[in-house]
Amino acid sequence: MSKMAINHKIIKQALTIRRVEEKFLDLFSQGKLNGTVHTCVGQEFSAMAFAAQLEKRDFIFSNHRCHGHYMAFTDDVRGLLAELLGKASGTSGGIGSSQHLCRSNFYSNGIQGGIVPVAAGYALGNKLNKNGAIGVVFIGDGTLGEGALYETMNIISKWEIPLLIVCENNFYAQSTPQSVNLAGSITARAEAFGIKAYKGDTWNPELLLTQAQEAMDYVRTETKPAFFHCDTYRLNAHSKGDDDRSAEEINEYRAKDFLVKFEQEEPEYFNRFKEKIDEDIDRMLATIFEEGDTKLEDYYTPHTNQKTEHWIALETINKRQVELMNTFFKQQFEQSDKVVFIGEDCLSPYGGAFKVAKDLSFIKPNQLYSTPISEAAIMGISNGLALNGFKPFAEIMFGDFITLAFDQIVNHASKFHHMFNKQVDCPVVVRTPMGGRRGYGPTHSQTLDKFLIGIDHVKTVAINTFFNPAIVFESILQEKQPVIVLENKTDYGKKILTNPSKAFIYNRSNDAYPIVHIKPVVSQPDVTIVAYGGMADFAATMIEDLFKECDIKPELIIPSLISEIPVEFIANQLSQTKKLIVIEEGSSYSSYSSELIAALSEVMDESFKVRRIAGLPVPIPSVKSLEEQVLPSKDRIINEIKSTFN
Amino acid sequence: MAVLQQIAVPLLAVNDTFLTVVEVNFNQKAAVKKGDIVMVFETSKTTYEVIAETDGFIKLMCEAGKDYAVNDIVAEIYSSVDEIVVEEKKVVEVVVSKPATTGVSKAEFNYTGTTLFSLAAQSLLQEKKISPDVFAGYEMVTAKDIQLHLNPNAFDKVVETIATKAPQPQKQNAALPDGTTSIKLSSNKKREIEYLSAVQETGLTSTLAINISTNGLFGSVNKHLKYFKNSLLPLLVYETSRLLVKYPLLNGFFYSNQIYTYNEVNIGFAIDIDKGLKVVKVAKTNELSVAQVEETILELSNQYLEDKIPVESLIGISFTVTDLSGEGVSYFRPLVNMYNSAIMGISAIDEELQRFNTSITFDHRITEGKYVAQFLSELKSRMESYAYNDAEVNNHIKCYKCFKTLQEDLAQVGLLPVITPQGKREHICQTCWNGL
Ligand SMILES: Cc1ncc(C[n+]2csc(CCOP(=O)(O)OP(=O)(O)O)c2C)c(N)n1
Ligand SMILES: [Mg+2]
Repeated sequence: MSKMAINHKIIKQALTIRRVEEKFLDLFSQGKLNGTVHTCVGQEFSAMAFAAQLEKRDFIFSNHRCHGHYMAFTDDVRGLLAELLGKASGTSGGIGSSQHLCRSNFYSNGIQGGIVPVAAGYALGNKLNKNGAIGVVFIGDGTLGEGALYETMNIISKWEIPLLIVCENNFYAQSTPQSVNLAGSITARAEAFGIKAYKGDTWNPELLLTQAQEAMDYVRTETKPAFFHCDTYRLNAHSKGDDDRSAEEINEYRAKDFLVKFEQEEPEYFNRFKEKIDEDIDRMLATIFEEGDTKLEDYYTPHTNQKTEHWIALETINKRQVELMNTFFKQQFEQSDKVVFIGEDCLSPYGGAFKVAKDLSFIKPNQLYSTPISEAAIMGISNGLALNGFKPFAEIMFGDFITLAFDQIVNHASKFHHMFNKQVDCPVVVRTPMGGRRGYGPTHSQTLDKFLIGIDHVKTVAINTFFNPAIVFESILQEKQPVIVLENKTDYGKKILTNPSKAFIYNRSNDAYPIVHIKPVVSQPDVTIVAYGGMADFAATMIEDLFKECDIKPELIIPSLISEIPVEFIANQLSQTKKLIVIEEGSSYSSYSSELIAALSEVMDESFKVRRIAGLPVPIPSVKSLEEQVLPSKDRIINEIKSTFN
Repeated sequence: MAVLQQIAVPLLAVNDTFLTVVEVNFNQKAAVKKGDIVMVFETSKTTYEVIAETDGFIKLMCEAGKDYAVNDIVAEIYSSVDEIVVEEKKVVEVVVSKPATTGVSKAEFNYTGTTLFSLAAQSLLQEKKISPDVFAGYEMVTAKDIQLHLNPNAFDKVVETIATKAPQPQKQNAALPDGTTSIKLSSNKKREIEYLSAVQETGLTSTLAINISTNGLFGSVNKHLKYFKNSLLPLLVYETSRLLVKYPLLNGFFYSNQIYTYNEVNIGFAIDIDKGLKVVKVAKTNELSVAQVEETILELSNQYLEDKIPVESLIGISFTVTDLSGEGVSYFRPLVNMYNSAIMGISAIDEELQRFNTSITFDHRITEGKYVAQFLSELKSRMESYAYNDAEVNNHIKCYKCFKTLQEDLAQVGLLPVITPQGKREHICQTCWNGL
């Protein structure tokens, strides 16, 4: 039985939701709202059944149509009003507005489907914390078309994650009636994954409240997911004026609407409630209108590069890169309950495709999650864990597959901190190996770094074979923002700083993300070479030959943080050599080298000569002879340098 | 005993595996006396005179101006001239004349590993018959390094200016006046002549001078100086280095009908305290603070006294300052060094007039008087800007009797300059003057 059988308090709250949203439409037509609104007029009792009945320790992830869920869960009408009016006192400081609300365990995001794995990760965090909290994620029926939903349903069922998915079925996705887009049954979808499915509707609120409570109780007591199919109908347009539905159809549903019926049956109560609510809204609005917007300096802090000051001599470590990474994770597993490793095939004894996770599941099975083939869910769940105070390290088996996780990186991890007005951090980490030279062919060899270095508020780091990768991972542990770690398949098996040339000095900066500087022992270098990750090892290995063949003394600069350019340091070196080579494994159009050269051009007064040596812009062939030619080969590097500078 | 003395190439510095014979003072088979200077070697740092240990006759196995490996026998002294058999002239493989000077600075490291040669460098070595050993101490050698080594002026930046030319034969003056004693020129002096001739020989130098006030200067400058209180040198070097960036033509040299400018400002200062005149380099002067300039000067002076000036500090000097202020001169005309376009002379402070004279001699082939005049006048105003501001001056000038400072002279009548009974210039206040 519901703790709150239908009563005037509930009706008043539902009516508040409706009046606030009707006010929004009003304000919108007066030109006082920036952007858009999606109202839930007609669907309020879904919010009342789920959001209002949740406990405060629980959480909600909602979608574009989230005002009702927000007000029902938080009672924060004023914050919502201020948010939509773009005021600094709004729920998200006016940054997020209608679709991006955040307060006390309530989050919403305007990306259909993407919130589902995030909610699953958040709920997994609760399960790991054993705090008895559950979560609800709201989706529309149109969102049943999103793949991330099914990846997540599979996983929450398999891992018994306490999450309730509420599908608000209003029979439309924006303009499209369900008959056009949806095949099969809604509840059968959940049942196919072994998830318990419930069904109800908003036209019988009393029953819905009871059913919702029952579903939530199930999730909490069984620590299992559930799915709730809730039929409902929005009485207004999708957002503002965009409605092609027939008036007849809408009127039919209006007649069924509980609040409309209540107005007819109890006009006196209805009007008394309505007047009081309207008065409250207007009173709040009067003060909100007086308020100021969030200031740019409160929202955006200009980036400052890490400052390179001290240099440390590098040392050979007689251990393979992958061993050192594995050791780092083992130590973290032993020390911390918050570090979570999540990726495909990472269960031991297999320990991941490249063995980074070797034996981790033996140490703490609860902190290692070997996933189905579901990159979007891996990343989304990691995001949710990160929001919930964990330090997840997601592993994407091959760099090429990171595109499947891209929405989670760009639209979720990258944006959460700012769009929720800095109330949250998402310190998620995703690692993946890039690169060819293994004959894996077009879809397992590409270097996609160029797509990953320009994501705002995401740090992208490339480890290398010159120092212990644990140095970088230790720094990552301290990060509050998302980090992408690019590894290289051919580097995993290499030891640290093997066979350094005697003619060169090998140093690294003591930055959080060190820069490696390899320079002639005695001479001033003639040319500055910049390379990172796998290409850096390649370049360093051939450095003596490069000198001999090209008749120039090179210095090699190897950044490890590649989402920013160590422009000051490189410019300083370049002002002496006046010659720059950038070697990268991916193709060069719009890549790290493009950004590097642009950044240098901005700060340097002297002119310099530059050559980029990069992978050719075609998929990486599997056949060895061709693969060698498509990727920067030793011969090509030497020839291109010769032809540029001699 | 036939061979009385064997003269081998000495090992004088770790990196100097080859030495240059710069002077041979005797002809083949000539008689030598115990104590004669037989020959002079030049290392990267200094010269070394070989003294005959005995009377005898010399067998030369070397030529002036050429390089010989350490331990090579370059001459022998025999008891009798008949014993000397001169073989066919030994062809010396190594034609280069000094340890390699490439585009590298060896300041930081002492490299003892294998020297790598680029392919281009390897074929150039063969073509020019240069021994790779010349480049010992360098990690990598490019073709450019070898060209630079063969001709330091091959590229726009001169790295080293050690003169290695054989000494010019002095024209014999037929009618020497009577009553003279000849003094043999030391090799240092010969080198100096050669150095200074390079620019002065053209006759196209000119000297400009300016007086710079020292009124109130040291009161403020001494605060920045740790070792050389009341010394002009550190501050002048500091200010000059800044100005040279603006006046690059004074930071260069004339060579083979072309003007070259140095990419760096490396001011050298002349030093001569018993150990011979040397010009030593304050590297990258324009990047140093006054205190750092002062410290460098001190360090170089100490190295000079201990004969430990590193070779790097002797080469690549782009502008020279010579400070004779300690000698009381009121004006002098310094001479421009080889591979320089100008030199600055600092004269002594005139305590009475509270000023000193700074002169610049410059190579007129590179620039003109107006350019140098502007340089000097800018230098003057920069130097004088250090003088105490009024408040400080007022606090500084005081009555020598009652120590009342000008600032404390509330009556605002001022102080009188006086000569004290001890003959010192001081100030006195009205009250003390009036005998209170
Ligand atoms: C990934 C993504 N694709 C498209 C959209 C644009 N969009 C916003 S709402 C919407 C319709 C969603 O329909 P449904 O899930 O049924 O929710 P409803 O609007 O009916 O509540 C669409 C297509 C979006 N926000 N996100
Ligand atoms: Mg819908």
